[in-house]
Amino acid sequence: MNSSIDPTASTVLESLRFGALTIEPEDVLDFPRGLIGLGGRHYTLLDRNPGTGFLWLHSLDDPAIALPVIDPRSFFRNFSLQLGEDEHERVGAEDLDDAQLYVTVRTAPDPADVVVNLRAPIVVWERRAHQVLNTAPGADLQVRLFAPADAP
Amino acid sequence: MLILTRRPGERVVIGEDVLVTVMEVSGQTVRLGIAAPEGLPIYREEIWLAVKEENRAAAAAADELPAPTEALPTPSQAAPAQSAPASAEAAPAQSAPASVQAAPAGGGDQRPS
Repeated sequence: MNSSIDPTASTVLESLRFGALTIEPEDVLDFPRGLIGLGGRHYTLLDRNPGTGFLWLHSLDDPAIALPVIDPRSFFRNFSLQLGEDEHERVGAEDLDDAQLYVTVRTAPDPADVVVNLRAPIVVWERRAHQVLNTAPGADLQVRLFAPADAP
Repeated sequence: MLILTRRPGERVVIGEDVLVTVMEVSGQTVRLGIAAPEGLPIYREEIWLAVKEENRAAAAAADELPAPTEALPTPSQAAPAQSAPASAEAAPAQSAPASVQAAPAGGGDQRPS
């Protein structure tokens, strides 16, 4: 476990998925409360699939943990984020429109089975990140990302 | 597990800074008020478990991600994929800014201060 990340020096991430990667200090995200159920304090975003909208949220504390994420605003035109007052304060951004936003992706061999978690987005503000509970209507735990190929 | 009996209005103190108050008991429902330090997240167990499961499932992804170009993006969350006609012309998000706002105070899960 890499529990202390030097905020002034680059970090070498020995990713189990992607091999050794050098992460610059400005690319380190601080999760004061970790990801729900996964913990971890430090993560980074890797663009391994440029142009697809998919990023990897990779733990710097555990080289085995990496989650595919997307910006829900790029895929869902009507995506809405509503937070309780407490969580909004925790996030830090006054206007949530200005924050970076990601949702985790549960992948599947068939694109029609790929779902994203709109209920618990990750809000990044000034390199601090929080997984929050979105109370907006329709922000469900599993929302299909792609329409089935044979949809009418 | 520690088991305590409390009446409405009575409290339990956890550590130095978490205060749980029994607000109301009505039939099978107990209403709790929880005062905890700033930044300490409090979840209903079922939602905590469900999000944890989604995070773990996401972390179990294969290294190869699905290629979005081979599938059609759903038009919006307001029109779920099941009922929405798949359209190759589905407009990208940029053309319709997402509405992002904080919920007004007074929701069911407000933390007492």
